[in-house]
Amino acid sequence: MLSTIITHELKNIFFSPKFSVTFIVVSLLLILSVIVGIDQYQKAIRQYETTTQLVQQEMREARGWMSLNNKILRKPDPMQIFVAGVNNDVGRISGISSFFAVKLSHSTFSDDPIYAVFRFVDFAFIVTVVFSLLAILFTYDAINGEAEKGTLQLTFANAVPRAQYIVGKFVGSWLGLIIPLAVPMLISLLLLLLWNVPLQSEEWLKIVSLFAAALLYVTFFISLGIFLSTMTKRSSVSFLFSLVTWVCMVFIIPRAGATVAGHIITVPTVAEIEAQREAFSKDRWTEYEGTMQEKWKARNAPTQTMTKQEREAFRDSKMWEWMEEDDRDRKQVQVDIDEQAKKLNEDLRNRKAEQEYLAFVLSRFSPASAFQLAAMNLAGTDIALKSRYEDALNEYRPVFNTYKDKKQKETGNSGGFRIEVNSDTGVKIDAGREKGVLDISEMPQFTHPKHTFSDAMASAVIDFGLLGFFSLTTFAGAFVRFLRYDVR
Amino acid sequence: MNNQPLLEAVNLSKRYEDGALAVNNVSFFVKPGEIFAMLGGNGAGKTTTINIFLNFIEPTSGEARINGISSHVEPLKAKQHVAFVSENVMLYTNFTAIQNLDYFVRLGGKTQYTKDDYRKVLLRVGLQEEAHNKKLKGFSKGMRQKCGIAVAILKDAPAILLDEPTSGLDPKSGFEFIQLLDSLRNEGKAILMSTHDIFRAKEIADTIGIMRQGNLVMQKSREELSGENLEQLYMNFMAGVYE
Repeated sequence: MLSTIITHELKNIFFSPKFSVTFIVVSLLLILSVIVGIDQYQKAIRQYETTTQLVQQEMREARGWMSLNNKILRKPDPMQIFVAGVNNDVGRISGISSFFAVKLSHSTFSDDPIYAVFRFVDFAFIVTVVFSLLAILFTYDAINGEAEKGTLQLTFANAVPRAQYIVGKFVGSWLGLIIPLAVPMLISLLLLLLWNVPLQSEEWLKIVSLFAAALLYVTFFISLGIFLSTMTKRSSVSFLFSLVTWVCMVFIIPRAGATVAGHIITVPTVAEIEAQREAFSKDRWTEYEGTMQEKWKARNAPTQTMTKQEREAFRDSKMWEWMEEDDRDRKQVQVDIDEQAKKLNEDLRNRKAEQEYLAFVLSRFSPASAFQLAAMNLAGTDIALKSRYEDALNEYRPVFNTYKDKKQKETGNSGGFRIEVNSDTGVKIDAGREKGVLDISEMPQFTHPKHTFSDAMASAVIDFGLLGFFSLTTFAGAFVRFLRYDVR
Repeated sequence: MNNQPLLEAVNLSKRYEDGALAVNNVSFFVKPGEIFAMLGGNGAGKTTTINIFLNFIEPTSGEARINGISSHVEPLKAKQHVAFVSENVMLYTNFTAIQNLDYFVRLGGKTQYTKDDYRKVLLRVGLQEEAHNKKLKGFSKGMRQKCGIAVAILKDAPAILLDEPTSGLDPKSGFEFIQLLDSLRNEGKAILMSTHDIFRAKEIADTIGIMRQGNLVMQKSREELSGENLEQLYMNFMAGVYE
């Protein structure tokens, strides 16, 4: 009996024009999005490699160890082909130096705003928006449409258990809808292999999990369509309800969640944080300059009664000690500024984390949000992408600076210009050394943050659970409603 | 032939939630090889009675039995013994006649039929061979009705419920339909038919019941009606002359 109903439902779907349209639309969209994604990824890889080489070249040609600054580029991830997430919003490059805090800048969208206007259509978007709409269009009249046609009456004039009928309807619709998703998905995976996109076993696992999340998400909309079709006698009414529900689920609730969270928990703007950091830095340097002036006055005090020769001899004997002392003070100022920046950043991140948590809690009332978050977490293009990189950069920065200081001390080369003004000998400028001879082969390399499959699943598991819960609840609703549905 | 009633209404009543009494204490039975025609105007309770037999509606009191099984208590078991043809047979328009037959016959629990069996039954009910593999989109009501009766035949249930089966059929189709009912009766089927068509009822039915405002106001066999003017009788009952 169940197989008869499922087979019939499948045939009903396959012979309908909406199946052909769905298959063509989804196949075209999905395959094109993957082709565009592969192209974007390969361009990003080329850009990454070229820029990395240029940075290495610049470092080798630096004037000296003191002026050596590194630049780290965010490495493109092949998962961005399927889920762009925040990948294009987050900066791709950050400077590493003693003086400036790490900051990712030059995002794809800031460099090429046209992409920000017309965002990339990826797998996640196609499933979230297009496929969920198609699922609703397939199922909004699953039950009341049959009642309107009169076929439900004829069906239940037979000894057909209602439970089997609704399960058969659901399974048939599910299979009928999954095929237009699974076939282009398989073609897309073949394209990845053809284009030699470097996918490790971790990425394959992520892709399989992404597809599983998509299936759960689509299952919810199939159940929802069937549920709404059992709520009303007329398919035109359930169509309207389905559309309104779809708009709320896909567009309104996710955005409303973020907006409400933004109003409840306020987070200082980047400009405000920058201003606070700048103000502290300015105060600290001013204080340092004052201290330095006092120190130099104190250092020069004994020379007031000395002859010129005594004064020069005294200064020569003390100069190295003073320079080291000044350097220590300067470094302390930098440490204080860094600590303050770190504290401000931590405060900002804590506030942001609170806001994000609330936004996610509110928006997760929509399965569309749950799927988006699961997809982004699986792909590693989630909201934590920026902080993952900034944490790694912050860990790397002191390692790099220590290496730089060590090299500077080893070579005794500050790398700067030495300008000596003497009333007897005149102005003398010493450039230190020739360009292009820095050996950076021992320079510690930046380790890109890893986003393993287990990390991804740990973040996505709640959304998988929610999607399963939403699907089960709506199907249970449809099941219970249908047991008492008037089939006449 | 077993002479136990295959279709039986025992003190059957149905009062809707709005208080309307659709069927009031109705009792009758249909034995194998008999046709029971329920006559009555719109809202008389004919379709409600059939819907109770099919468990589409629960009775407020009383019982509708199919082959001795209460359709309300054991609906799935009861429905194994009955086939149904509605006033407007609605099938899947994007499927062919044979595909529709295959689906509904399988739902009826019969899986042994071949396409040839379907063709034979479709020819028996008068559907031309060229229509067998055509989608139902262009089918007339009469053609769909023939498919519906084919489904009922193939289910091979001992009892058949017909709700206004000749309504809207042209005279030729109506005549063919009555002939088909006659042959089914001869096969021993117990047939309960609701209809407005006094002449067809008189022509084919073994027992005629007249329903008015939910009550079965008259129930007479063909023999009891011989020599009586059924049309006049019907009009009198409808006008409440005998109350």
